[in-house]
Formats: sequence, C-alpha cells, structure tokens
Amino acid sequence: MTDAELIEQINGKLGSRIRETANPAPLRIFLTVDPGDLVPAVTGLRDDFGYTHLSTISGVDLGEAFEILYHFGRHQGALTVRTQVPRDKPHVPTITPVIPGAILYEREIQEMFGITVDGIPDPRRLNLPDDWPDGQYPLRKDWSFERPEEIIPGGRS
Amino acid sequence: MKYQVPIGPQHPALKEPISLRMTLEGEVIRDADIRLGYNHRGVEKLAEQKNWTQNIYLTERICGICSHSHSTCYVQGVEKLMEIEAPKRGQYIRYLVSELERVHSHLLWLGVAAHEAGFDSLFMYTWRDREIVMDILETISGNRVHYAINTIGGVRRDLDDLQVKRILGDIKTLWSRTDYYKKISIGEPSFVARLADVGRLSKEDAIALCAVGPTLRASGVPQDIRRDDPYGIYAEVPFDVCTADTCDVLGRAVVRILELFESYKICDFLLQNLPAGDIKVKAPRKAKPNEVVSRYEAPRGENIHYIKSNGSDKPERLKVRAPTLGNYAATVAMLKNGFIADIPLIFAAIDPCICCAERAVTLVDSRSGAERVVRFSDLRAQALGRRPSDSQKRNAVWPF
Repeated sequence: MTDAELIEQINGKLGSRIRETANPAPLRIFLTVDPGDLVPAVTGLRDDFGYTHLSTISGVDLGEAFEILYHFGRHQGALTVRTQVPRDKPHVPTITPVIPGAILYEREIQEMFGITVDGIPDPRRLNLPDDWPDGQYPLRKDWSFERPEEIIPGGRS
Repeated sequence: MKYQVPIGPQHPALKEPISLRMTLEGEVIRDADIRLGYNHRGVEKLAEQKNWTQNIYLTERICGICSHSHSTCYVQGVEKLMEIEAPKRGQYIRYLVSELERVHSHLLWLGVAAHEAGFDSLFMYTWRDREIVMDILETISGNRVHYAINTIGGVRRDLDDLQVKRILGDIKTLWSRTDYYKKISIGEPSFVARLADVGRLSKEDAIALCAVGPTLRASGVPQDIRRDDPYGIYAEVPFDVCTADTCDVLGRAVVRILELFESYKICDFLLQNLPAGDIKVKAPRKAKPNEVVSRYEAPRGENIHYIKSNGSDKPERLKVRAPTLGNYAATVAMLKNGFIADIPLIFAAIDPCICCAERAVTLVDSRSGAERVVRFSDLRAQALGRRPSDSQKRNAVWPF
C-alpha cells in the first residue's frame, strides 16, 4: 500500500477526528488532531490499521503552546500523531489504557514539560531525582541550568 | 510472607544504573517496579545548545556499546533535514560499521548470557572472538569503542583494498567460530534447560507493551526496522529477519545467534560490492526549518530520534529514545511470576546491564522491616544452584 492510499483510508475511517494530514517524505505520515480527539484517534489507528507499536512520545516547546508527538510504527514506515496544548493550561488525556507501553513516555512528558496527563495510572517521576523542586520543567525553552557556585573548602589558594 | 527486594541502582563500571524493587512471595516474584534516572545526563537539553556537528559527538556518547547506532540515527536524520545524501561508498562503510557493531554487541551478550547460566567456557570463547571484531573496527576507524566514523554527509575514513581483504578473512573466521558456538550450545542440555521457559513474555504482551528488537522477535513478532522502514542501503541488501516463538530467554538467545549469521552475510555483501567513489559530501552549516523522524535498528532494537530544525546551526529539539527504555515495560512483565534466582538471566536477556545489581542487593522483610544485604555473587550462586527440576525443562530442546 502506498502512503497516499493509506492516508485516504485513514481519512475515510477517522476523517472527523483528524484536522490535517501530511506526507513530507516516503513512509512518513503526520496526522494532526485536537487533544480531545486523541484517544478515539489512537484507538481507531490501533484497531483498524494495526498501529499497536508506540515508539515514543516527543514534546516540543513552541512558546505559546506545547506540541506533543506520538510516534507509531507498523510493518511499513512510521506514523506520527501530533496535538497541541496551550501553555497556560497544558492538559492532555492519557493513552495508556489503549497502548499500555505508553506509560513510561507519558511520565517523561509530565516531568520534562509540566504537561499534565489526565488519568495517567502512574504519575511518579521517571528520570528526575526525588528532591527535584516542583514547578521546574527542564525541557521548556525558558528553563536553563545555572551551575551553583563552587565552594572549595579552605578557599582558593 | 512477602519480601521486597531492591536491586541496584549503582555500579561504577557500567552505563545504566537502574533500581528494581521486587515484591516476593517466597522465591516467586509477584511484582516489580522500575526506577530510573540515576544516570540522567540531560543530553536532550544539551543538544539544543550545540551545533549540528558537535551533536554527532554528543549522540555518539549516549551509549558505549552501541555508540554508532545513535550517531548514525542522528546523522541520517540531519542529512534529510539538510537535503543532502551521503555517497554510496560512504553509506556502505557506515552500515558496515553498523553490522560489525551488532556482531560485537551480540557476541558480548551471548557471553554474558552463558556466564549468567554458568556456562563459562562459552563466555570465554565468545569474548575471545569478540576481540576479532573489535580489531576489525579498530582497522576501519582507529577506535575500539567510539568509532567516530560518521560525519554529516558521509564517513570520515576510507577503506583500502588490503583492509577489505583482511576484514573479509576475519569475517570468515568469525562465521566458522559462531557456527561452532551454535553447535556446542545446542549440544549442551543443561544450558538449554537453564534458559528454557525463563522470563516468559507472550506475543500479546510483547506487542501491547511496545517491546523492541530481539526481545520482541523472540516472542514471534517479525519486526525489524531494517526491513520495515529501510534506511540507508538496507533496501538493496539481502538478509532475513530472525524470529523465535518460544517467548523466553532461550528464544532471545536463538534470535541473537541467528542474527549474527545475518550480520556476517550483510558485511560480506557490503565488502564484496563496495562501490568506488567519494566517501562524503560537504554539508551546509545550517538546516532549513523542518522536522524528521529517524529510525534505526540498533543491536538492542528500534532506536528513534525526532529532530526538529529552526533554520539556525543548532537543533530546535532532539528527542532520543534508546531501545532499552522501550523494553523496560516488558521487563516488568517478564519478571512477574519468575523466580528470584532467574533475575540475572531475565535482566541479561534484554541486554541492559545486569551488573547494576552487582554492588548490593538488599532484602527487606515486609513484616519486620529488617533488611539484609546480599552480595551479587551470592545471588549468582543461587542462580547457578537452581537446577532444572520439572520434566518439561529437562526435555527442553534448542528450537533452531
């Protein structure tokens, strides 16, 4: 099946959920959905098109909004579902009930971007340490690391 | 009585410290919880502050064993962003190194698995022959671990005829040695019985939990990025996707041994058909605003990089997902209802670093809260002491 045929079939089945499709390169398909349509769209892709393998979830800080990209793989090529959430109210529904393997990546999105994943079964941090301060989200563009001043016992000589 | 056993997190010599907390009932694992982040280095944040060329060396240092996987995945994505293509000869050398890296990683794994199962002569043999492939890599790149062969637009070093001849000879040696290991591991019933039926992961679980690589293929799912999403030269190279349907550690061993032969086949093909010409093209300093999803079949499974450019000489975003993270959810499923003595084997079978557990294991009595610390060597002694007792395991056969 070519990419164009696949996009046509996906549009036929899930057309009302999908705002935009793109096919920038061979074997690469991008779908844009609203956060509210995310779970039905992912369920449809899993049940009707066999997209059971979630490779990862990427977050991108766009300034006013966050973009979240769900990278799926199948027998042929890769499909990415993208959605945007506003920066002042970053909420996205969980897809873990549909794709159980998504849990680690949703935890990562939560701690790195401060995007709340509604209904996530395990909201703990994934990579950041336990004593990491609340409200610090390292992959946001406005976050930067400042190295604490080095204190040498006895002072510099 | 229920116990909780924390395993890990730190080991000074290895790349992935990880802590696992096992809930035990007697000897049987009822639940497992994974805690990560002991080695979080902030690579993705750092990549946004480095330029395209500097990031080759950053991505190469994500992993020690599959360093070439990450740099290749990154470089082939950036080449798409910059709309350039590496010359054929450069690509052949790049993916030759990829396959050699797979050989060295799988030989290393086979040795570790044999060691954890108490078959130390196989461990000695495979690690001796791993030196052959390390020497080949040194011949090509000058380095044994971080090959630094990739650059945007091709590779940095060319091969001459003498090197090609020497590498072809070495691959022939490796081929016959691996054939011998296949024979001795089939002929060793205690080794087969030790691996059979350990760390079960059903096909449905493997798919649902998004497992990758040999772990997924050993559960009977023929997914291989080299065939499903051909990158570089893989569309023109003949090879087979190896699977097993035993869904256990034995299957994972079978898949890796079979993949060794496929890798030799690919290396042989690449060297015999090495095209003439340049090895690299000049790359621009900046990339137009665009995005790319780059996938790569690393020795441990699918490696994916999402790269977004913004028109400058630095990436807007570089997202990396290494294959071991993809396998963690499946590891929890494998450990459940297994035995405490199988932990080293199950861990080793997804090919992370079991030696995180080498430092100390603390056993917590859930009633009294008392802890006792067990050295990894004692845990290993327990693993070796566990004899295959049930009749099914005694009759286990090597499913080649």
